[in-house]
Amino acid sequence: MFIEQLVNGLTLGSTYALIALGYTMVYGIIQLINFAHGEIYMFGAFAGLLLVSVFGLNIFVALIGAMVFCMFLGMLIERIAYRPIRGKSSRLSALISAIGVSIFLSTLMALIRGTNTTRYPEIMKIHTYHLGSLDLSSLQIIILVVSALLMVGLQLLIQKTRIGKAMRACSQDLEAASLMGINANRVISYTFAIGSALAAAGGVMVGVYYNAVWPYMGTMAGLKAFAAAVLGGIGSIPGAMIGGLTLGVLEILGVAYLSSSYKDAIAFGILILVLILRPQGIMGKKITKKV
Amino acid sequence: MSSKLKFRLALVLCCVMMMSIFAGCGGEKSDVDDQSIQASGEVIKLGFLGALTGSVANYGIPGKKGMEMAIEEINANGGILRHQVEGVYDDNKGDNSEISAIARKYITRDKVVAMVGDPCTGLTQVAGKIAQENEVVILSAGATSPGVVEIGDYVFRNTLLDKFAAPAVVDWMINDKGWTDFAVITCMDLGYSTGLTPVFEEAIEANGGNIVLEDSINQGETDFTAQVTKLKNAGADVLVFTGYYTEAALIMNEVQKQNFDMVLVGGDGLYGPDLAALGQSAVEEKVIFYCGFSSDQPSDETAAFLEAYRAKYNEEPDMFSAQYYDAVYILKKVMEDANSVDPKVFKNELAKLTDYPGVSGNTTIGPDREPIKSPVCLITIKDGQFAILEKIPVNVE
Amino acid sequence: MNIMDALLSQYIDAYYLHIMVLIGINIILALGLNITTGVTGQLSMGHAGFMSIGAYTAAILSIHMGLPFWGSLLGGATAAAGFGFLLGLPTLRLEGDYLAMITIGFAEIIRVFFLNFEPGGKALGLSGIPEHTTFSVVWMIAIVVIVLNVKLLHSRIGRSFYAIRENEIAAEAAGINTTRLKVLSFMVGAFLAGLGGGLYAHYMTYIAPQDFGFMKSIEFLNMVVLGGMGSIPGTILGTVVLTLAPEMLRIVAEYRLLFYGAMLVILMIFRPNGLLGDVRWYDIKKRWFSKEVKTWES
Repeated sequence: MFIEQLVNGLTLGSTYALIALGYTMVYGIIQLINFAHGEIYMFGAFAGLLLVSVFGLNIFVALIGAMVFCMFLGMLIERIAYRPIRGKSSRLSALISAIGVSIFLSTLMALIRGTNTTRYPEIMKIHTYHLGSLDLSSLQIIILVVSALLMVGLQLLIQKTRIGKAMRACSQDLEAASLMGINANRVISYTFAIGSALAAAGGVMVGVYYNAVWPYMGTMAGLKAFAAAVLGGIGSIPGAMIGGLTLGVLEILGVAYLSSSYKDAIAFGILILVLILRPQGIMGKKITKKV
Repeated sequence: MSSKLKFRLALVLCCVMMMSIFAGCGGEKSDVDDQSIQASGEVIKLGFLGALTGSVANYGIPGKKGMEMAIEEINANGGILRHQVEGVYDDNKGDNSEISAIARKYITRDKVVAMVGDPCTGLTQVAGKIAQENEVVILSAGATSPGVVEIGDYVFRNTLLDKFAAPAVVDWMINDKGWTDFAVITCMDLGYSTGLTPVFEEAIEANGGNIVLEDSINQGETDFTAQVTKLKNAGADVLVFTGYYTEAALIMNEVQKQNFDMVLVGGDGLYGPDLAALGQSAVEEKVIFYCGFSSDQPSDETAAFLEAYRAKYNEEPDMFSAQYYDAVYILKKVMEDANSVDPKVFKNELAKLTDYPGVSGNTTIGPDREPIKSPVCLITIKDGQFAILEKIPVNVE
Repeated sequence: MNIMDALLSQYIDAYYLHIMVLIGINIILALGLNITTGVTGQLSMGHAGFMSIGAYTAAILSIHMGLPFWGSLLGGATAAAGFGFLLGLPTLRLEGDYLAMITIGFAEIIRVFFLNFEPGGKALGLSGIPEHTTFSVVWMIAIVVIVLNVKLLHSRIGRSFYAIRENEIAAEAAGINTTRLKVLSFMVGAFLAGLGGGLYAHYMTYIAPQDFGFMKSIEFLNMVVLGGMGSIPGTILGTVVLTLAPEMLRIVAEYRLLFYGAMLVILMIFRPNGLLGDVRWYDIKKRWFSKEVKTWES
């Protein structure tokens, strides 16, 4: 049973990791906790649902469609709700603006779709593979593989391309980067686009895996993903992946071996412990305060 | 010294200003003492209590639809005692302070004669207290836990009480079906569920069954993989789930994915069209629940209701729409019996209600002002439709 | 005070009276968060957690111990302040968003604890709390809290709080014991949250863990930031606006939260520092009671 639960945890954790990546990328560059990120994930899930059920597209095409849709959604949100505030006020004002966007988006979806949970259509026949005592479903394998591919892709994008280089420069020092001729606004826009696309991928996969989407699914997922990003060390991309996987596994093992009624308390309790022992998160860099 | 004084003066001024803003708001208020609606107007108002947005809205919205339909029908047939009826629908988001504000608004601004709702026990208690203080009748359509009608003689409920129904169902499971090992899953953040679980557990123990697994989930979650993996290895004959239909369907989906057989038994919170829509093949003949009414072998009243509801909203009604619908008609009946639309008068008739043939079952208000509904139908899902499995009598003591 | 309440309920509609009571309670709570987050700059996103501790403690003291109203209020507030002390301790090592995460986690743990708390009725909530909170009680306490807040922020401690927010290292160099003051700001904030929670419990007569979720904490944060960080008049204004807004928006029915969300964004775009960012009593006073005679600026 332990290995089965471990696989359950890794699957859940990989969806957390995909959402956490968006948080961490945005944070790394403009130090904003983008609270609307959970809602982008929700919109991604619904966009995927629309493409699969109404247009009858293949699930992988729908996945890409939802990612593209959320890219634009993320850029639009940044343009409307964050850019006008940037540089004019404290980060907290931007945080409130993000909360406003989050309330707006989830209510909007509730008005469009109703507050009921909607079933995600079955996209394929699910095979179960028996490996010794372990039952592994084909869906779990697909989710793990797709998330791994997306994360590797992201790593390549950031390490090998020009825009990735620009992003790294901006995250080190936004001002200095723009003095070096980098169009910081554009880099921020791209960061939102990439983060949102990853969240959308997470949304579609969660929809496929659990067969259910609903307008308020983003709130708790967003919170957990933020926790994952902080656990891994916010601003660090490998940190978000490790944080997501750790949180997912901890949560599932907490239910399996401790108590399911204290599930969230266990996850957050461990998070607090880790942060007290290692204040910069698992992969975060220790920053010395300067005057 | 003088600047300090001025500062205090400014403080007082600020307070006065703030108060005057509100006093200005309150200016248009009409006379609260005038409770006799009969004299003041032609329309009588009923207040709706329930959530229209937020995470519990899918229990409030069907209720609102049922209530709207009942009011429309009544108005088309001449109203109550020749008064037209108007529903007032405010969204309480399932929130404590919201419902408290709304109940006060209904009573003092809208001057309702009765309130219908809320589906949740806790919220009903908040509204019930306010209703009792202001002498307005509240008829809850869904609050099943204790502590509701005890508030006072203006507080009623029209719902199938778990303390009567659940033991009958447990008896059926153990003696008719021969299931002895039970797994119980509770929805931790749902009052209905945490209230129902002990009722089931006591009945299981009293009938000699074993509880092999106790587990819990939260509302609005979708990941139940860990719980279901535990269930798979627990060796239970049957799963008792005390929450609502959405989570039940998702649990059964996961059971199907993990490839094992399990029957889920639950309360009337499972009665919702989404159960079949979300679960599809996973819930087919695998979910059994008890309920006061069934759409499969309906009485004449129920059949008419089902047809009208489908025609109006183009969807299947759930338990809440039936109970809100009934509640409005019960209020109509007692107002007509009392020949008065004054809550002080018709509340006495409501306390005497006997064998009212509603669409959600026959209702009698017992001597302790608790509703008794009998018989209880056991319902399962066949071909995506609710189908009656058995009718079991309820033993009221 | 009973006479005053009786008089008020004669002349003011119960619905408006209710809203005013809620505003009073929210002002106490928001001023608490203002000290922690607005003035000292320690981002706390778990204010509802402290509120729930105060509410449950006060309610249980009232119901089971038979304590008088004032006693249970004080008990609730003290319990919350104790947890404020505990939560303040990690600030020794953590700051910024890591601290925010700890406060979120703390509030979630408290919520889950109350969901499993048998004497608190689990998810059904705790009912049958005696009704003691009335309009005059709330506003009396609120005014005392406001006055004490003004006094505190004008004192040596208050100025040190501002110094920590502006620059922690500089504050430390100036001889401020930042550790102790940060913990203190958490305790004061939590104390007021517990006080507000106790008042809330004795007003609603019913509390449940769902009342104190993450969104509730966010609501208080909205009040402080929207009104203007660190400003007492601003926090009060933010509280009044954000408590009234949902009631005013009732006319738009199910579009209400849509407007609420949009309102937050628009207000932040046009007033990035809050409605009354950095406006203090002193500025208002100067404007209204200035003895200098000036003409319009040309």
